[in-house]
Amino acid sequence: MKRILKLHVNGEDFEILTEIHKTLLEVLREDLGLTGTKRGCDLGTCGACTVLIDGKPHLSCLTLTADVQGKKITTIEGLAQDGQLHPLQKAFAEKGAIQCGFCTPGMILTAKALLDEDPHPSEEKVKKAISGNLCRCTGYVKIVDAILSVTDKSSES
Amino acid sequence: MKGEKRKVILKEKKVEIPLAKEELEVVGKQVIRKDGYEKVTGRLKFGADFDKAGFLHGKVLRSPHAHALIKKVDVEKAKALPGVVAILTAEDVPGRNGFGAIIPDQPVICGEKVRFIGDGVALVAAESEEAAIEALKLIDVEYEPLSAVFSPVEAMKPGAPKVHENGNLLTTVRIRKGDTEKGFQEAEVIVEQTYSLPFVEHAYMEPDVAMAIPHEDGTITVKGPMQAPFTVRRNIAPVLHIPISKVQCVQTHLGGGFGGKEDSSIDIGVRAALLAWKTKRPVRMEYEREEVTLSTAKRHPMIIQCKVGAKRDGTLTALEGTIYNEQGAYASLGPIIPPAGGTHAHAVIMLPGPYVIPHVKVDGYLVYTNHPYGGAMRGFGAPQVNFVHESIIDELAEALQMNPYDLRMKNCFELGSVTATGQVLDQSIALKETMRSAADQFEWFKRWRPPPSKEEVEKVEKRRGVGMAIGWYRTSIGTFSDGCGANVYVHEDGSVILHTGITEMGQGSHTVLAQIAAEELGVRIEDVRIVVPDTDIVPEAGPTVGSRSTTLMGNAIIMASQAVKASILEAASEILGVPAERLVARNRLIFDRDDQTRGVEFKEAARRALATGKRMMGQGWWAPPRPSFDVETGQGYPYFVYTYNTQMAEVEVDTKTGHVEVIKVVACFDIGRAINPILVEGQIEGGIMMGLGYAMMEEVLLKEGKVQNLNFQDYMIPTAMDAPEIVPMILEDPNRYGPFGAKGIGEMPNIPTAPAIINAVANAVGVRIRDLPAHSEKVFHAMRGRRG
Repeated sequence: MKRILKLHVNGEDFEILTEIHKTLLEVLREDLGLTGTKRGCDLGTCGACTVLIDGKPHLSCLTLTADVQGKKITTIEGLAQDGQLHPLQKAFAEKGAIQCGFCTPGMILTAKALLDEDPHPSEEKVKKAISGNLCRCTGYVKIVDAILSVTDKSSES
Repeated sequence: MKGEKRKVILKEKKVEIPLAKEELEVVGKQVIRKDGYEKVTGRLKFGADFDKAGFLHGKVLRSPHAHALIKKVDVEKAKALPGVVAILTAEDVPGRNGFGAIIPDQPVICGEKVRFIGDGVALVAAESEEAAIEALKLIDVEYEPLSAVFSPVEAMKPGAPKVHENGNLLTTVRIRKGDTEKGFQEAEVIVEQTYSLPFVEHAYMEPDVAMAIPHEDGTITVKGPMQAPFTVRRNIAPVLHIPISKVQCVQTHLGGGFGGKEDSSIDIGVRAALLAWKTKRPVRMEYEREEVTLSTAKRHPMIIQCKVGAKRDGTLTALEGTIYNEQGAYASLGPIIPPAGGTHAHAVIMLPGPYVIPHVKVDGYLVYTNHPYGGAMRGFGAPQVNFVHESIIDELAEALQMNPYDLRMKNCFELGSVTATGQVLDQSIALKETMRSAADQFEWFKRWRPPPSKEEVEKVEKRRGVGMAIGWYRTSIGTFSDGCGANVYVHEDGSVILHTGITEMGQGSHTVLAQIAAEELGVRIEDVRIVVPDTDIVPEAGPTVGSRSTTLMGNAIIMASQAVKASILEAASEILGVPAERLVARNRLIFDRDDQTRGVEFKEAARRALATGKRMMGQGWWAPPRPSFDVETGQGYPYFVYTYNTQMAEVEVDTKTGHVEVIKVVACFDIGRAINPILVEGQIEGGIMMGLGYAMMEEVLLKEGKVQNLNFQDYMIPTAMDAPEIVPMILEDPNRYGPFGAKGIGEMPNIPTAPAIINAVANAVGVRIRDLPAHSEKVFHAMRGRRG
């Protein structure tokens, strides 16, 4: 059954005629063409589909689109502002925190939610925050370093 | 000289260039990976991200039986379903009904029988995914179940169910060096044990996908995350019964591969191509995560008996081993590619470890069963056998009451050592240095103590222990066909296009290879663009496996770069009036070696080269020195150079629960030369974490042939919470055959981690786990057994 769903994604309002049963992951990827959000397991176990809903990380593969109408949704495509990369994006690219890059969007969004809530987390807290985002390439070392490097910068400023 | 600069006058322009000729500009630098910004913004398209519009949806009907005859396949009901465009069964395959990386023994669509749970019995193409899924349910297959065999040992017994017509023993590889009987007579201490290793899933984050597009001119394009596009192409052509030249395979960026997408991209690529060919429409297939785990290749499980003997002083006298290597249902990358290619030969060759042992006897059996199949996975047979030789060396050290470091140092390879296959290691071998450096960093001698007694273990709730392991790993794949080509094109503005069939799967090869081209040409890394590997465009490169990319392709790129650079230097020579032999190209400048004030910009020379009709492309082809290996005696030079590694781990074991926490891993590598140190570190850290998973938690659980843990809620891989402190260390003992001295790095880090951790567990609580993984329950029971 198709319905019109009203979504607020990356600062823009959308009205989408789509199947009511679709997950947010499906709508983002298929209806809005925002393919930066990845489907790794479709079961809420890998974290690759993480997006921010009202600033908090959520697994879009387990989220019914109809339930998040009117909420503020941020995907990886919405993170850079006015062509400027978010400090986390920059840090990931420059500190070797990316290999294949499939987990990267979800990982960065999870990290952003953490830093928005606590700009100076401990290493342990960073690890805990991203423990739901699986990465098979990096061993997490440089990911944790990249996230901590952003907190360093903010503490210096 | 380092850091010194001199002013150079370039036609009234003043430019600074570094002076030291021996100082490299791009190679050895922490260059940021070329695809980094695309990946952090989500702009980079993976296979599943391309528009689905216009594609039919392809699905595979999979066998629920591990071994059964197919009596009847009724597709009529499914065909009648609205939206269904085609249902294909075995008889619809126009050409060879088989695929495989080495032997095409896996049916594209099974016709007579199925050999594992997950085997493909029919293919569906439909207008929507929903219709395709519905159609699968409507296909009626009548099976006659056969008795199945699930263990390589059982499968070798007379009368065991035959997985394939020719029997279950697929390949036997042996090593015969010296006389082990004599060797064990000379031994004063002998240790003999059996170890077993489980099936392990690659768990690349990106599930497999393929898009096949047939064209009116009788050609077909297949796109997807292919680790080895040429191998995919080689399989599609005979299945469709068309020449290879009519098949175009285009790689999309891999969301991880680790060896797995060498196989799986054939599986999904061939099937998508067949559906597209038959329906004459573009077809897209995407495997669910569960489907990936169920049906694609895994790391081979092995049961290995090993016996090692030594003198009282620790000198090794003999080693014997028997490997029961479980191939599963299909040959995949198990069998021999002459002379020493394939997982099985590699496992046999690697079993004696990086040790000088005068008498060696190994028998390795590669055996079909009705399980999913073993293929390539990071280390290609080496993680299994490394676990064995590094465990048994520790067990021997304990029996000898020696520090395991000293036992290794006494026996391990150094310059001039002869391997079990009779190969003289005559260059680039800094294994002992990796041990010394790792030991210094780890403070091994301060921290290592003999394993505790039962009473000591029981006294405390948490006990720490340290363990080490060493390893070696080949660069190259040991086949006669290990060559690869590269094309380099220089344009009149000084920009460069590099054609290489080596794929980018996250390891950073497209950054490293661009660095090599930039260094050799004398341009900057940003001047070099690598096109997406497309078999219509790029020369044959072989597969992106065997830690071969940097070294083999790097050499081909150097040759190609030199070929085109000759034109550019010739043009520069004409401009400057200086003989070309005296010209040096660096950092977009070409200058006179003997008078560095005279120079010309690279792009100006390139412009002149084009304008004067000079050759603007270079081609390179490089293959390693010809390998040799005899499968009966195991003698020969199977691989031309090896990477060496020492890993040391510290663990903390909870003596009440058996829970093991890995605290720290120090890992030191001799990799010849690090072309890009930050990427090398990335390979080390990622490989170690994968090794930690192998040691502690990873195992594909099988029950009557069926995979029990299909997704990540049951199949555990390490999370950030499992990450220990990792200290990566790089030593550079140059490889004389390598580009700038480089050897491979991709797989080595994944190899000695598991035994280092398991040795540390033994050191902490005095129990030895000989069958991976060492999850808490297993460690707990082992400790309780010891207390028994």
